[in-house]
Amino acid sequence: MKRIGRRSIAREAQLLLIGIPVLIWTLIPVYHLFLFAISPRDQATSGRLWPKDPTLQNFQTVFEQKHFYLNHFWVQLGNSLMIAVAVGAIALVVATTAAFAISRLRVRGGRLVMNMALFTYFIPAAFLAVPMYKTMANYGLLNNRWSLVLAMVTIASPYCIWVLKQASDKLPWELDEAARIDGATPWQLFRLVYVPLMVPSLVAVGTYSLLLAWNEYLYGFLLLSNETDLTLAVALGNFLAADDSPWELLMATGLVYALPPAAIYYAFKRYMASGLTAGAVKA
Amino acid sequence: MASVSFRDIEKSFGSTKVIHGIGFDIADGEFTVLVGPSGCGKSTLLRMLAGLEEISGGTIAIDGHVVNDVDSKDRDIAMVFQSYALYPHMTVADNMGFSLKLRKADPALTRERVASAAKILNLGPYLDRFPRELSGGQRQRVAMGRAIVRDPKVFLFDEPLSNLDAKLRVAMRAEIKALHQRLKTTTVYVTHDQVEAMTMADRIVVMQDGRIEQIGTPLELYDHPVNLFVAGFIGSPAMNVVSGTLRRAAGDVWVEADGGVRWPLAPTVPGSDGQPVVYGVRPSDLGVGAGERSVPAEVIVVEPTGAETELLVRVGAAEIVVVVHGRPQAEPGATIALAVDRAAVHLFDPTNGTALT
Repeated sequence: MKRIGRRSIAREAQLLLIGIPVLIWTLIPVYHLFLFAISPRDQATSGRLWPKDPTLQNFQTVFEQKHFYLNHFWVQLGNSLMIAVAVGAIALVVATTAAFAISRLRVRGGRLVMNMALFTYFIPAAFLAVPMYKTMANYGLLNNRWSLVLAMVTIASPYCIWVLKQASDKLPWELDEAARIDGATPWQLFRLVYVPLMVPSLVAVGTYSLLLAWNEYLYGFLLLSNETDLTLAVALGNFLAADDSPWELLMATGLVYALPPAAIYYAFKRYMASGLTAGAVKA
Repeated sequence: MASVSFRDIEKSFGSTKVIHGIGFDIADGEFTVLVGPSGCGKSTLLRMLAGLEEISGGTIAIDGHVVNDVDSKDRDIAMVFQSYALYPHMTVADNMGFSLKLRKADPALTRERVASAAKILNLGPYLDRFPRELSGGQRQRVAMGRAIVRDPKVFLFDEPLSNLDAKLRVAMRAEIKALHQRLKTTTVYVTHDQVEAMTMADRIVVMQDGRIEQIGTPLELYDHPVNLFVAGFIGSPAMNVVSGTLRRAAGDVWVEADGGVRWPLAPTVPGSDGQPVVYGVRPSDLGVGAGERSVPAEVIVVEPTGAETELLVRVGAAEIVVVVHGRPQAEPGATIALAVDRAAVHLFDPTNGTALT
């Protein structure tokens, strides 16, 4: 008993030895983000590890939209939110139904479609940006927030389908057969058996696509141009258009922008637990 | 309740044919067991009846209606899987009532049916639990409950006891049999365990390599196996088989095996002198005791099980299992005399294994 205990402590120590430097390394930029955000303008680049006069003034400026670059802060934050949620929701619907069809209904050619979709990842998204721009222009969607939603759904879906397909394949096949014999139509099977059992994967995939859209810059920059249509990520980029960028406001806005993803992650973390299928079939 | 009939059933997976034209009928209310070694096609046959596998050839009819092109859900059958296949996100009650819910039955009726099924299976206290909170035996009972609530025309069981430990298996065996006696629903039960088949079935279908070897009541198969395969498969311990030559001389008939061993036969057996045969005798048809036609044997292993004693003995070149009641005085290495119940001996043709007696 004692020896096992000692061994597990040694193992823990090894992990910590790797984990702590990685954690510090990850946190340093975030710390600097925070540092900028609470520094007055003239001290922002002083190089101190803690500002002489820490202030929340920057946040007030941001929230009250009292700067040229921040005139539409709340609208743009709302755009980001609307677009991210829409992308998360639509990608989820697309990927769940696709994965169900490919993995559980074994639709002919389903795997081919999935592999072709995955194939698009061989081409960097940046190269697809211009064709995407052209496509959106053809359909008259430029300067419309839906263009960004559709573009991000396109980019997120193949990965989501693939993840969900892998997860679906692990569901016991007998459950489908039992449901079929019990009288379930494919739609009932999907709604009453498949989706409830896929919840952890659905949360993971939904969160993934939501955050992907939340953080997207390039496509937002290309497809949207109206100030009031922009996402906050693009608006933040516009800070750098001038020579005398207000760094402290940029960082304060950035910090605000980073909070929703963190909140989403913690809110959904508990749903990502595995073991939902425990007891379905004898392992 | 319903009858089931299989007509010239064939099944191929790609170019591999696994079932070669099977036909038999199951009467209304009958408990039929499909038994055979793994890969014999028994599960495939059951799954075709369930509508989970396409039928490559022939027809399956339930209650006189051909169901080849009928969906599983419209065949009015219920199936219990080896792996239980319970819906893990539903309580026991929801699992059992799922089929009625899908049919949009009145919730009050569903509750009533679930409660009565739970009563039969002693699941009452567990209705609000989830499958993960139940033991293996309880889960299997929930799976059976799900089938009962349906009140289907036919119950299908696919090796339902294989995942349970030995003691529970025996208990559940009795429970399923009692259930059938109570509900009298036509039942098709697949197993590879001949003891399960013998104890539960009204009629057994013995299968091998996608063909039926024999159909009959448990005792018919035990007493009159039509070939060596059935003889060896049904009965535990398995029938002893010895190759030899039929001899007739001076009104006596016997089989001469390697080492000049004379295995006695009843005078009425068919066959001519010098004919090669396979001699089969069940362990329980052998006894210890000297007599006119007894066979000398050397004891190798003695296995007392209490009421009975199993002896492994060597007769000539063959190793023979003997089961005797009581506790014979036999030590390993000792020589004993085996008494053979000549009337119970089976003779088989060595070329194709068919029974001669």
